Amino acid sequence: MDGVVSYQRFPKIKIREVKDEYLKFELRETDASVANALRRVMISEVPTIAIDLVEIEVNSSVLNDEFIAHRLGLIPLTSDRAMSMRFSRDCDACDGDGQCEYCSVEFQLSVRCDQDQTLDVTSQDLISLDPSVVPVDVAARSTSSGFDATENRGIIIVKLRRGQELRLRAIARKGIGKDHAKWSPAATVTFMYEPDIHINEDMMESLSLEDKRNWVESSPTKVFDIDPSTHQVVVVDPEAYTYDEEVIKKAEAMGKPGLVEIYAKDTDFIFTVESTGAIKSSQLVLNAIQVLKQKLDAVRLTEDTEEADEQFGELGAHMRGG
Amino acid sequence: MEKKKSKANQHDYESLHELFKPHIESFDYLVDSGIETLLSNIHPVEIHDSITGRTLKNILSKAFHSSHCFDLLILIGFISVLRPSELLFMVLMLMFVFLQCRQAGISYEGKFMLEVFLKNDDALLPSISEQSNLTYLPFSLHTSLCHLRDCDPSHLLRQKEEATEMGGYFIVNGLEKLVRLLIMQKRNHPMSVIRPNFRERQEGFTDKAIMIRCVRDDQSSVSNRLYYLQNGSARFGFWIRGKEYLLPVGIVLKALIDTNDLEIDASLTCSYSEEYQGRKGAVATQLVGERVRIILDEVRDLSLSTHLQCLQHIGEYFKPVMDGLENKNHSDVGTSVLRDYIFVHLQKNDEKFNLLIFMLQKLFALVDHTAAPDNMDALQNQEVLLPGHLVAIYLKEKLQEWLFKARRTLKEELQKNGKKFDFLSVVHIKKVLDKNPSKNVGMAIENMLKTGRIVTQSGIDLQQSGGMTVAAERLNFLRFISHFRSVHRGAAFAGQRNTSVRKLLPEAWGFLCPVHTPDGEPCGLLNHMASTCRITSFFDSQGNVKDFFKIRLSILNILAGIGMTPSLPKLVRAGPPLVLSVLLDGCVVGSISSDIAEKAVSHLRKLKLFPSSGIPEDLEVGYVPLSFGGAYPGLYLFTSPSRFLRPVRNISVSSNGPRDIELIGPFEQAYMEIRCPDGGNGGRRDGFPATHEEIHPTGMLSVVANLTPFSDHNQSPRNMYQCQMAKQTMAFSSQALRFRADQKLYHLQTPQSPIVRTAAYSKYHIDEFPTGTNAIVAVLAYTGYDMEDAMILNKSAVERGMFHGTIYQVETIDLEDQKELSDQAQSLFARSNIETYSSIDVDGLPYVGQMLHPDEQYYSVHNTVNNSTKTFKLKGSEPVVVDYVAVDGGTKQKHPQKANNRSLQYVNIRFRRPRNPIIGDKFSSRHGQKGVCSQLWPDIDMPFSGVTGIRPDLIINPHAFPSRMTIGMLLESIAAKGGSLSGKFVDATPFPGALNKAGEESSDSRVDELGPLLASYGFNYHGLEVLYSGVLGTELTCEIFIGPVYYQRLRHMVSDKFQVRSTGRVDQVTRQPIKGRKRGGGIRFGEMERDAMLAHGAAYLLHDRLHTCSDHHIADVCSLCGSILTATIMQPLKKAVREIGGLPPGSTPKKITCHACKTSKGMETVAMPYVFKYLAAELAAMNVKMTLHLGNGAEALIECRLSN
Repeated sequence: MDGVVSYQRFPKIKIREVKDEYLKFELRETDASVANALRRVMISEVPTIAIDLVEIEVNSSVLNDEFIAHRLGLIPLTSDRAMSMRFSRDCDACDGDGQCEYCSVEFQLSVRCDQDQTLDVTSQDLISLDPSVVPVDVAARSTSSGFDATENRGIIIVKLRRGQELRLRAIARKGIGKDHAKWSPAATVTFMYEPDIHINEDMMESLSLEDKRNWVESSPTKVFDIDPSTHQVVVVDPEAYTYDEEVIKKAEAMGKPGLVEIYAKDTDFIFTVESTGAIKSSQLVLNAIQVLKQKLDAVRLTEDTEEADEQFGELGAHMRGG
Repeated sequence: MEKKKSKANQHDYESLHELFKPHIESFDYLVDSGIETLLSNIHPVEIHDSITGRTLKNILSKAFHSSHCFDLLILIGFISVLRPSELLFMVLMLMFVFLQCRQAGISYEGKFMLEVFLKNDDALLPSISEQSNLTYLPFSLHTSLCHLRDCDPSHLLRQKEEATEMGGYFIVNGLEKLVRLLIMQKRNHPMSVIRPNFRERQEGFTDKAIMIRCVRDDQSSVSNRLYYLQNGSARFGFWIRGKEYLLPVGIVLKALIDTNDLEIDASLTCSYSEEYQGRKGAVATQLVGERVRIILDEVRDLSLSTHLQCLQHIGEYFKPVMDGLENKNHSDVGTSVLRDYIFVHLQKNDEKFNLLIFMLQKLFALVDHTAAPDNMDALQNQEVLLPGHLVAIYLKEKLQEWLFKARRTLKEELQKNGKKFDFLSVVHIKKVLDKNPSKNVGMAIENMLKTGRIVTQSGIDLQQSGGMTVAAERLNFLRFISHFRSVHRGAAFAGQRNTSVRKLLPEAWGFLCPVHTPDGEPCGLLNHMASTCRITSFFDSQGNVKDFFKIRLSILNILAGIGMTPSLPKLVRAGPPLVLSVLLDGCVVGSISSDIAEKAVSHLRKLKLFPSSGIPEDLEVGYVPLSFGGAYPGLYLFTSPSRFLRPVRNISVSSNGPRDIELIGPFEQAYMEIRCPDGGNGGRRDGFPATHEEIHPTGMLSVVANLTPFSDHNQSPRNMYQCQMAKQTMAFSSQALRFRADQKLYHLQTPQSPIVRTAAYSKYHIDEFPTGTNAIVAVLAYTGYDMEDAMILNKSAVERGMFHGTIYQVETIDLEDQKELSDQAQSLFARSNIETYSSIDVDGLPYVGQMLHPDEQYYSVHNTVNNSTKTFKLKGSEPVVVDYVAVDGGTKQKHPQKANNRSLQYVNIRFRRPRNPIIGDKFSSRHGQKGVCSQLWPDIDMPFSGVTGIRPDLIINPHAFPSRMTIGMLLESIAAKGGSLSGKFVDATPFPGALNKAGEESSDSRVDELGPLLASYGFNYHGLEVLYSGVLGTELTCEIFIGPVYYQRLRHMVSDKFQVRSTGRVDQVTRQPIKGRKRGGGIRFGEMERDAMLAHGAAYLLHDRLHTCSDHHIADVCSLCGSILTATIMQPLKKAVREIGGLPPGSTPKKITCHACKTSKGMETVAMPYVFKYLAAELAAMNVKMTLHLGNGAEALIECRLSN
C-alpha cells in the first residue's frame, strides 16, 4: 500500500563471546519489546526435557519421596532433542499418558549402600534409556571438554548410609519454563542498553587531577580512567556502566553539572545468556527465535481464522493462555 | 570419674547444655541427696492402740520418746531410686529407650522404692518388703540417672536422639513436658511491704508488714508475716494448712527463748540512739521504745510472763490444728509449732529470736518512714522455682499424705478387729498398708507433670495450683530452647488488672531479656532469661554437691576475721548508723561496723573469685548501704540455690582472664557500680567509681533476641515481634525427624544458613537447626500485589525449592482404648478378604509411602467376636502421604497379664502433608516484618538487573519501612549482599562498639563498614541497583534496593485456616449453618457485620446473608388463627391409586390444613427464618401463643399473648 511508511527494521546480531553455557551478543537496530520478548522466551518458553514423573520403589534414605522427586526434576538433562519432541499432553502415540518414546525418556536409578562410608547418590547413577538424554554433567564428562572430571562427581541427589537404598523409575518429559522452573534452559538471561557517554571535555579540563581521580573513582564500576600520560579522562569500558548515575551525581556534587552526559541507546542491546547446560547457549538463542516466530505465526493465523487455534494445538494454547 | 572423660567430647554443645542447666541440676540434686533430706524432714507417724494399750504401753515406755506412750512408729527410711531402665525395659534391649517412650506414649520413669520401717519399743521391726512399695517416678532427661547422661553426640545419635539433645524435660505418656520456672519471693529474706489489703485482715491492722518466705533445706517453704497494728504492736502471722493464724509478737518472742522483758526491750531499742537521730542511715526513732512497751504489755495482759507459759499458750491454742500431736502436752505442741511453722529455715530458737528482732526493727523503720518498702515485683527480691525443687516439695507432701493415710487405715483396722490385729506382725501391717498403695505417690507426681496441676491440702506455699508444666514443643529449635529459658511470673498475676507486675524494671537488667516477652496477654509475665543468666544450684562449679554447713562456716570465719561481731550468744546492742546487721541466708549472724562494711564487701568479692578460699563463687553479697530513707541497710549474704546469677567482670582485681569474672545476683546488683565496657560512665558521678564491668551488652538479651542481626538498629517493638515470630517459624525442627512421634511437626525442606549472623548464632549451634532461607529481596512497589504487607514470591524460585515444607502428623490408634467395656471383644488390625482396597495392606494398615486422599480408607479393624471389619477413612481436606507406620512391639503394657500372645493393638501412623508456598502463606524477615504471599509471580515478569540478570525471589513494598523503622533489615540486605559477593559470613552482632575502649572511635554507621565492600565489587554503595521491568524490558524509573535477606516461613498457612462453604451441614434445631472449620461450617455474619450492611443500605446482601444463605424457610401459616405451628400435612390418598395403576409416583400437591382450625382454607406460605418457627415453638412451651396477622405492608403484625 502506498503512502504507508514501513517501520520494518532488520535487527542485527553480533556475537561477542560464545561458550557452551555462556553467550554474549549484541542485538542492534530493534527496540526493547523485541529484546525483552527474546529474553522472556529464552527463560520460559524454550522447551527442555526434565524429569516429571517419579515412581519410587524403595526409599529408605533420609529424604522423603517428594523431596527426592523434586531434586530429580531439577537435574538439567541434555535437551537437544526437546524441540523435536512432543509434549506428552499432545502426544497421540501414547494417548497422553506420556510414556512413549516420542514424548518421554525413562530413567532408572537403583543404589544401595553396603559400605560404612556415606554413599553419594548422584546424577551419574541415573541410567537413561535414551543416550541422547542424560544429565548434563554426565554428558559433559563423556565429551570432557574442559570439564574437570575428577573434581566433579555429579549432582548429588541424596546421601545413603549403610543399609539404605534408593530404587526408582523416572520419566522425563518435554516442558517449558513457564510451567515449571525445572524446564527453564536459562540460568540467567539479561540485556542492557548500550550506553552513549559524552564527556564535556572543556569542563573536564577545568578539573584538577585530584578532582578527576575522585570523579573517576565515584563510579563503582570501572567505566572511566585517567590516561596516565595525558591526564585526560577517557572512557575505558562504556558497557561497565550500570546506569547508576553515580558519576552524574558526583559531578553535580562537585559543582559541575553537565560534566558528563550518558544516554541509553534504546535500539542497541547487549545480551548475556547463561544456560543450565540443557541446551547450548547458542542453540538456546536460536530456539528462542524459533519459538518467538511460531508465536508470531500463531498471531497472524488467528487474524485469519478464529478456528485456527484449534488446529494449531500448542500454539493455540499459547494464544489463549498468553 | 569416668564421667569427665566423656564430657570432653560433649564440649561441642556445651553452650547449649549451659542453657538447660537449671532444669537438670535441680533434678540431679533431688536424686542425689534431695530425697534423703526430704525424708529426714518427714514426720514419722505414731499409732496408739487404745484397746491393748496397757500391755503395749509397758513395752513401749522404753521407746525413744520415753515420756509419751506411743505404740508404733512408721518411718519411711531409705528410698532407693533406680534407673528407669532396670524395670521398664527389661524385656527390650536398652537401646532406643526414649524413642520407645515417645512412640508408645508411655512415661520414662524410674523405680522408686520406699522402705517402711516400723518401730515398736526398742525393736525395729523388719522393714516392709519393698516390692509392694514401689512406685514410679518420671525422670527428667539428661539428669544423673538418665540413660543419656553424659552421652556424647555420637552415642546420642545411636540412640536415635538429637545430637544436641539437652534434656531437662520429662517424657510422660509419650509427651515431652517440662516444669515451668516460676518467680518466687526471695527465700529467707525479710521484706517490707505496704499493701492496702492488710488493713482488711482484722480490726486495727495497718497496711504495713514484713514478709519472709522461709525455705527448709528440703526446699519446702513456709511464709511468715509480721503485721504492724495501729496501736503500735505487731502480729506474727503464719499459715497452717492454708489458714493464717496470728499471734502477738511478744508471745512468739518469749516462747522462742527464755528471756525477759528487759532483754527484749534492750534488743529492740538498741538501734535507737539520740546521737545519730536524723543522720544518714538512722532507721530507728524514739517511738520504738513505746512500741516495745505495748508489745510487752500485750503479753502481760494475757497473764503470760515466762517462756514456758508462752509456749504452753501457743500449744494449747494450736493443738487442734496440729496433726498427730493429740497426746502431747501443751509445751511440746508449742515447740513443734515453733519448729514447723515459724522461721523454718533456722534450726535454733536463738537464731529465730534474733531474726524476729531484726524483722521488728525493719518493720518499725518502715512505719517511721526511715526505710523504704521493698518492691515485691522487682527481680531484686525474687528467685525462681526449679523443677527438681517442685518435685521434691510435691513428693514430700505426697509421702506425708501417704503416711497419714496409712495411719488412718491402721487405726481403722485397729478399731474394727483390734483383738486379732497384731501390732508387731509385719505381715498384718503390710496387709493393711497395701490398702493404701504407695503407687499413688508416684502416680501423683506423674499426674502433676502430665496436667501441671498440684493437688494438695496444705497448699505447700505455692501461689498457683495449675500450669506448673508445659509441653516442650519442637516446632523449631528456638521455640524449644525458649521453653527452657522462660520464667513465668505466676498464674495469679495473669488475671490481674493491675499492670505494675508486667513492668520492665531496671532490677531485671542482665537477668531477664527486655526484648523477649510476648505481646498481648502474657506480656511482661512470661519473661525469658538473658543468655548469660544462670541459676544457682546445689552443685558447685566442679559438679560436687555443696556442703552448705561448711560454706556458711567458712563465710562466718572470714567475716569474723574482717571484724564482724557474732550475734550469738548475745545480739549486739547497736543499730544501723553505727553498725549493720549481717544476715547470712536469713540468719542474723552478727553485725559489722558500717565504716568497714564496704571494705568487707570488696574483700568478700575478691575471695569469691578464688575457689580455694572456701567462699562459693555464687555467693551473693547484698550490701545495702546507709541512706536517707532508702532500703533498710544491712549486709545480706545468700548462698542458697535457685537464685539468678550472671557474670560480670570485676575490675577492682588486677588480674584479667577468667579469674576476674564474678557471678552476681539481682539483689546485690542494685547496689553495685557496673559500667559498660565502651568507656562511657553511664552518667555515673565521681563519688562512685565503677567496680565492675559488663562483659558484653548482648549478655542482656535472650538467646532468641540475640539472633536478630543488627537488632541495635531496629525499633525495639520490632525486635520483640521477631522474638515471637522466630518461635513460630517453620524450620528444620529436628535431626532425628524420622524417629519422632510428635503430634505435629513442621519441617522446612530446604533451609539455609544465614549470610548475616550474630555471634550467638554460632555459639548456640543454630546451624544444626536452620530456620530460613536467604531470599533475594527487592524493595519496590510492583504490580500492586505487594500492598499492605503482602509480598510477591518468584514462582520459579518457589519451584526450585524455596520455602518448601512439610507437616508431619502422627495419628495414634490404640485399639485398647477404643474397645468397649465388654472385654470379650478382641479387635485387631486386619483387612477384610472379601472387599478389595487400594490403600490397605494385608495387615490392615496403610502402605508406607502411599498417597491418601480425603475420605480414602486407610486402616481397618477386625472384630473377632462379631466377625465384622470396620474401615476408617482419612479426615481432612488435603491429600497426605503415609510417612511411617510404627507398631508397638510390646512396650506399652497397660495390662501386663494379658500381654502374652496378644495381637497388635497400638499403632502410630505418621502422615506427611506437603506444604509448598501458596498464596496466603505467611513469611517474615528477622526484623519483625511479616507479610503474606499475595502472588506467585512468574519469573519472567519479575524485574531484573541488567548487569547480573538477577531476579528477586521476593518483593516487598517500601511502605514497610518508614513507620516501622527496621533499619536492621536494610543493613542486613546490604551486609548480605557484600557477604555473598565476598563469600564470607557477615557478623551482625548488636552493639559492636560497646567493646571499643574510649578514644578509639569506630565508624559512626554500620553502612560505612558495609558500603565500601559493595562498592569494591562494582555495586552501589547503598545497595541500590538499576532494575528493568520484566514485562516491558524498560528501565524502572528509580533505583531499587535489592539484596539477600534471611526470610523465615511462619507456620501459619492458609491450608490450615481457609474456611469456605456455600451449602453444608446445618444445626438441627435452628437449621442455621453450623460453626467450626473442621466440620465444614460457615463463618458467622454477626451483629457488627449486619450493622455495616445496614449502614450501607445493602438490603439485598443483608437478606442474602441472614436469610437465604442461613435458615431460609417457607412456613405454612394459618391466616385464620395466625399460628405457624398448627399446620399439618394431610397425606393425599391418590398416591396409592397411582401406584396400583402402574403410573410413576407423580408429585401430588400436598394438602396442608390447620390442625387448630381443622381447615385448609386459610393456609398461606410465608418465607421466614426457621428460628422464628423455633421461637414460636419455644414460646408455646411456655404457654405463650404467637399469632401472625398476615397482610400487605403495615397491617402485618406479630402478636404474642399468654394463652390461658
